[in-house]
Amino acid sequence: MSNLVSALLSFPAGVVDSLMRNQDALFPAFGETLYMVGASTVLSFALGFFLAVVMILSGPKGLNPAPRLYSVLDIVVDLGRSLPFIILIIAIMPFTRLVMGTAIGTTATILPLTVAAAPFAARLIEANFLEVDRGVIEAARSFGATNAQIVFRVLVPEALPAIALNVSVLGIALVGYSAMAGTVGGGGLGDLAYRLGYVGYETDVTLWCVILLVALVTVIQKAGNLIYSRLRPDA
Amino acid sequence: MSIVSVTSLQKCYQESVVLRDISFSVEEGEVFGIVGHSGAGKSTLLRCLNGLEGYDSGSVHVMGREVGDLDPAGIRLLRRDMGMIFQTFNLLSSLSVLENVLLPLRLWHVPAAEREARAGELLRLVGLYERRFERVSALSGGQKQRVGIARALALSPKVLLCDEATSALDPGTTISILDLLLDIRTSLGLTIVFVTHQMEAVKRACDRIMLLDGGQIQGTGPTDRFFLAPSEDLRRLVQDEYAQFPGGTNIRLWFPREIARDAVITSMARALDVDFAIVGGKLERYADDVRGFLVINVPDPDRERVLAYLEAKKLYWEVLGNE
Repeated sequence: MSNLVSALLSFPAGVVDSLMRNQDALFPAFGETLYMVGASTVLSFALGFFLAVVMILSGPKGLNPAPRLYSVLDIVVDLGRSLPFIILIIAIMPFTRLVMGTAIGTTATILPLTVAAAPFAARLIEANFLEVDRGVIEAARSFGATNAQIVFRVLVPEALPAIALNVSVLGIALVGYSAMAGTVGGGGLGDLAYRLGYVGYETDVTLWCVILLVALVTVIQKAGNLIYSRLRPDA
Repeated sequence: MSIVSVTSLQKCYQESVVLRDISFSVEEGEVFGIVGHSGAGKSTLLRCLNGLEGYDSGSVHVMGREVGDLDPAGIRLLRRDMGMIFQTFNLLSSLSVLENVLLPLRLWHVPAAEREARAGELLRLVGLYERRFERVSALSGGQKQRVGIARALALSPKVLLCDEATSALDPGTTISILDLLLDIRTSLGLTIVFVTHQMEAVKRACDRIMLLDGGQIQGTGPTDRFFLAPSEDLRRLVQDEYAQFPGGTNIRLWFPREIARDAVITSMARALDVDFAIVGGKLERYADDVRGFLVINVPDPDRERVLAYLEAKKLYWEVLGNE
C-alpha cells in the first residue's frame, strides 16, 4: 500500500522516465492484448452470430420453432457463460492443443477466449434479434419472404445498430478475459501488470497497464457508440 | 367465382374458440369490410386468408387455391398475390422510403431496372416520390401508411388486406388514406378486405361488410343497409344513441340514396301544416353517396297524421322508444 502511495507521489516527476524504462515490456504486451482481443472478438462474434441465428430460428417464438434443438443450445450457451474463464482455459487445454498445435502462448489463448465469449455474444445478438418489431417480421412474411430472407434482409439490418453496440461490449469483456491469458503464457497487459507490477513490486508498471487498458476500453466503447449513431441518425 | 371464399372456418387457441363457423365470400373488385370490436377475431380471420394464421377446420379458398393445403412455397406464391397493410405500418426503420418499397421486389428477384421503375411509379402514386431517399422515421403516420401501401402493391397483388390500416391515424389522415385506397381499387382493379372497428372508415370505404363478434358472424350485407337499418349489435358498435326529447314522439327518418336530396322535411311541414323540432341527425357519406337520418320530435296530437304521411310517401322511418 505504501508502495502504491509513494509511486503515486513520485509519478508526476518521473513519468517520462518511467515510461522509457518500461516501454520494452509495455508495448509488446499492449500488442499482445490487441492481438488476442481483436482476433477473439472477430471469431467469437462470428460463432455467436451463427448461434444466435440458429436460436432465433428454432426458438419458441422463432421463425421455424424446433423446441428440442433450442433447449440444447439454450443449455450449452448458459453452461458456456457460467464457467469461470480460468477453469475453462485449463479444461479445454487438450482441445486447444488439438486445434492450435499448442496449448500455451498468445495465439493458443485465442481459442479459449473465443469459446468463452461466443455464448455471451450469442445471447447478446439473440436479444437484439428479439428486439426487432414482430410486426416488421410479419410484414416480411406477408409479401412472401423466406425464413432466410427474414433473417438476413430484415432481422440483421434492423438489429444492426444494437449489434454494433454489443460488439464493443463483447470486445471489452474480452479485454477483461485476456488478463487471465498469462496463466497459459498468453502475455498481454493483464499478465504484465500481474507479473512485473504485482509480483515484482513495480507499481508504475501496474499503473501504465491500467492506463493503457482504460484507454483501450474507452476507444472500443466510443467506436461502438460512433457506429451506432451513424447507423441510426434518428436515435 | 369469388376471389375469396371461406366456408365453415373454425379456429381455436388451446381451449378457446376464436373463430366459429365463419362463412363468407368476397367478390372481385369490391371493398369488403370485416367489422367488430377489438378481440372479435377479425385480425385473426384476416390472417387466415394469407396463411399467416392456420385454422383447424373449414375451408379458405383464395384465388383458386385452398390455403390450408399449400406447402411453404405455395404459401409464398399466394402471398405474392396478396398485399397487406398494418395498423402500425411495420416498415423497416433501417431502410429509406424507397428501399422499403424495393424490398419485396428484391426478395422476389425482380431485375434492378424493373424494380426501380416499379417503386418509382408506386411512390408517385402515393405522393411520396420526392421523399424517397428519406428515412421512414422522418415521416408522419399517414405518410408511413402511404409507404406501406406502396410496398404492399409492389408485387402487383390482386387482393389487398388491410388490418386496422387507419386506426392509428387522425380523422383527416384517415379520410385521405381511405380515398387513396378507393382510387387504387378502381385504377388497379384491386379487391380489398378491410378489417376495422372504425365506423367512419367502414361507411366511407366498404361496399359490403361483415359484422364479427366473439368470433362469430353477426351479419353480412351491403354497407348502406347496415347503417340505414342497423341491428342491435351494430348500434352497440356505433353507439349513436340520441338523447331522447321529453314529450311528443321521436321519429327517425332514414335518407337512403333516392331521397337524400329531396326536401322531405320541409315538404311535410307545408303539406301537413304541423310544427316539429329537429332533435338530432346525421348526414354522411357512405361509400360513394350521401345518406343519413334525422330525428324529429312531433307533438302527440299530430303523431298519427305525420306517420300516415310518412307511410304514404314510402319513406323509411321508425318511432324511437323512450328508454
